Amino acid sequence: MATPALRPLRKAAFWTGCRHAFGVPAAVLVAGMIGFGALGQASGLSLGVTTAATIFMYALPGQVVFAEMMALGASGVAIALAAALTAARFLPMTMTLLPQVPQEDRDLTLYAKSHLISMTTWAIMMRDFSKLEPQARLAYFTGFGLVCWGCSIPSTVMGYLVAGHVPVPITLGLIMINPLFFLLTFTEVKTQFGRLALLTGGLSGPLVYSLSPSWSILISGLLGGTLAFLIDASLRQKAAK
Amino acid sequence: MIEGLFSIPKESLWWAWAVLIMASLGTFLWRGLGVLLSGRLDQNSAFFRWLTCVAYAMVAALVVRIIVLPVGMMVQMPLGLRLIAAGAALAIMLVKKNALVPALLTGTLLTVFFSWLG
Repeated sequence: MATPALRPLRKAAFWTGCRHAFGVPAAVLVAGMIGFGALGQASGLSLGVTTAATIFMYALPGQVVFAEMMALGASGVAIALAAALTAARFLPMTMTLLPQVPQEDRDLTLYAKSHLISMTTWAIMMRDFSKLEPQARLAYFTGFGLVCWGCSIPSTVMGYLVAGHVPVPITLGLIMINPLFFLLTFTEVKTQFGRLALLTGGLSGPLVYSLSPSWSILISGLLGGTLAFLIDASLRQKAAK
Repeated sequence: MIEGLFSIPKESLWWAWAVLIMASLGTFLWRGLGVLLSGRLDQNSAFFRWLTCVAYAMVAALVVRIIVLPVGMMVQMPLGLRLIAAGAALAIMLVKKNALVPALLTGTLLTVFFSWLG
């Protein structure tokens, strides 16, 4: 468990995380969740179910799949499977984030804290963890993630309530904020293999999607990622010679 | 219990809640599995590098797909205009340092503007 000497460092890191979340990251999530709230209303879901989807799924692509398939009247098994499938990205995301946290910080609360991993939080942590002392990372992540998650919930309610009352251009602008934000954080990836993977994944995304919409993220990730890894490995070998 | 959740009729108010519980469990499964499997992972191993590649490729595939082949309302906007908005934001980010906010605002406002024109 945490040594008492590290407590001030962790406490400070927690609040720094909270502070850093307020600003662009929270604004992006707010916009995305307003968009989802509006979609929930348009899909005929109740306010309770729409809000609970944000609280308990907390994964925008899966939530969108859930709302759209509910509106189509798809079968429950198909909806749950499709939503779970879009969440597969959380496996490699969690597995790349947590090894950067020191072994002595790991306990069972990590399972609860992992719920705070979203695309936004992950992208920022991948950027900031290397700049932080290892002992401060988990606290920083927790503060950051809690603020992002907390902001998402009232935003969903707001989106549900204002749906249909905002002009189309504003709605489209809100929808665009999410993909734009991720696209922009990609420019901050510094490693060669990371950049290669963004390139192969980005190029294969739309191609694979037109072949198999429901499996596309998984296939693009595995194929594109492996290809990037192999190119990087061969470049490393050349550099070593 | 799981079978019970699926035997709720669609007309019931609880049906949406039952599907939501299943979808939420299915989503959490990946995060929980990630915690479980990350315990002994060496950050400097080739496997970790491969995994990072897969994570980045998945996220990039999703983001590019949302912009290039959107579903829902975004379909109304022509592909060229979506690409101009995204490209302008990206260009600002690449040219200037610490330009996340201006880049994001440019892309978003261009989207609003294009939609308002059309």
